[in-house]
Amino acid sequence: MSGLSLRPSLAIGRHHLRVLRRDPMPVTILVGMPLAVMAFIQPALRFFVTAEGYPDATGAEQAVPGMAVLFAFFLPAFVGFGIFHEHGWGTWDRLRASPASSWQIIIGKVLVPAGAAVIQQAALFGAGVVFFQLRIRGSVGALALVIAALTCCLVALGVATASLCRTVQQVNAIGNLGAMVFGGIGGALVPVSLLPAWAQAIAPATPVYWAMRGFRAVILDGAGVTGVLLPAAVLLAFAAALTLLALWRLRFDQVKFWA
Amino acid sequence: MLSIRDLAKAYGDVVALRGVSLDVPAGSVVGLLGPNGAGKTTIVSIVAGLRRPDAGTVTVNGIDALARSQQARRLVGLAPQELGVYPTVTVRENLVLLGELAGLRGRRLARRIDEVAAALLLDDLLGRLVHTLSGGERRRLHTAMALLHRPPLLLLDEPTAGADVHTRASLVQVVRDLAAEGSAVLYSTHYLPEVEDLQADVALVLDGRVIAAGPLKDLVATHGTAAVELTFDGPAPALRLDGEPATVDGSRLRIVTGDPTACAARVLGELRTGSHRLRSVELIRPSLNSVFLTLTGRQYSDEPAVPR
Repeated sequence: MSGLSLRPSLAIGRHHLRVLRRDPMPVTILVGMPLAVMAFIQPALRFFVTAEGYPDATGAEQAVPGMAVLFAFFLPAFVGFGIFHEHGWGTWDRLRASPASSWQIIIGKVLVPAGAAVIQQAALFGAGVVFFQLRIRGSVGALALVIAALTCCLVALGVATASLCRTVQQVNAIGNLGAMVFGGIGGALVPVSLLPAWAQAIAPATPVYWAMRGFRAVILDGAGVTGVLLPAAVLLAFAAALTLLALWRLRFDQVKFWA
Repeated sequence: MLSIRDLAKAYGDVVALRGVSLDVPAGSVVGLLGPNGAGKTTIVSIVAGLRRPDAGTVTVNGIDALARSQQARRLVGLAPQELGVYPTVTVRENLVLLGELAGLRGRRLARRIDEVAAALLLDDLLGRLVHTLSGGERRRLHTAMALLHRPPLLLLDEPTAGADVHTRASLVQVVRDLAAEGSAVLYSTHYLPEVEDLQADVALVLDGRVIAAGPLKDLVATHGTAAVELTFDGPAPALRLDGEPATVDGSRLRIVTGDPTACAARVLGELRTGSHRLRSVELIRPSLNSVFLTLTGRQYSDEPAVPR
């Protein structure tokens, strides 16, 4: 088994899936909750989206990607919990003492959250089409590209968050705060054009902004893959920067506290 | 199989290891014995690749375990001091993960799980969720997770801490069997009787140093003096006994002797005025305990853990 093999990562990923199967509640909430919120806010958002120059909008054009992106940003905390659980259960050192390399362990730990992000996005956009009259004018491939880039960004943010935190309470606080602040400023709650000028100015500094820009381009403007290359590239750049931060800060022998 | 040379490690101002050297040949059990805080866990952690030493070398089957840690770890099975099991999944699922990480798959993995589970009395528990197990059952699973790939080098760090008699007996038997099959076992413990039960070679660790090492019988023969120890209320009286050196340490009087029973009778006869303050008499036979006493001048203590 070489240091480049994915086999140990897949073993850890499969195990994480078994753990999740016994306690699916957190992931279920990350899909169920945004669906409920969409139902509440869609009528109000219809007004905002039509005001942006889309007269036949139903509000789902903002509600569906907005809630999908907002709740996607709770997933980095899920990555952090996965790592902190290992410390709490005393299994982190077992993994480190196994033949798996440190980065094979981390890749294994992000596989399930990455899969959960993709499933979450697919489920929310699918439900948007079926239940909220969401019409995707552009290509599904472009939508998938933005989802893939967003997923990379989410897992990198999760590992970076775990690398910076010593306690699970810190992960929880940063995860919740980050999701709400990024979501608000980045245009997940209401379109960026309706935010105050100062918020519009800093919105591009958040990955939420670029995910929303990509999704809205596909849904409202009928963009294809080339039309979302810039947002996808910026999301991947965020992912790269966060990965560098994690590489710099993550100490595998650092003691972390679950409680 | 395992060779450690001049290992040194400090945690800030606290020096944990001061030049530890140790060998564990294939097919042998070495009991790493010492009081809590002696540095045993630090040694095990460094060998397992969990910590970096400040100085020294570690080789596992000829592989430099510090420079090529991942390669060396393939040969190592570790049961750390702290319990490390996944409580929300089943016993089998815990074993599957560690087996897969060690490169086992399919029927081979299933067979090894059955073998290890049988050896550690877990065979009826494979389908149980771990959080429903007793403490002893979890401890057995914790150890089983280290054995799946028949590691050529097994590191057990206080494997019986908090374990019941049943668990302790099964673990000792498994360790003996593994050594008989050719594995090298480094067995860290602060319980003297456990090392005596294992009939292991012994490395006595104190204050970050190996103060004595070798086969149990040799250590006892070389350093294991017999003695009588009397404890008094208040200062121990000074006694003069022909040919048998007596030392006073506060309220304790210790007399080194070849025949503790006869010596105790003589001492009690000599005490006279001090006899009403006598609280206890202990006959110390040649044993690991007396080896420790001879080498350090103090009784072995296995007070509750302050892990290092």
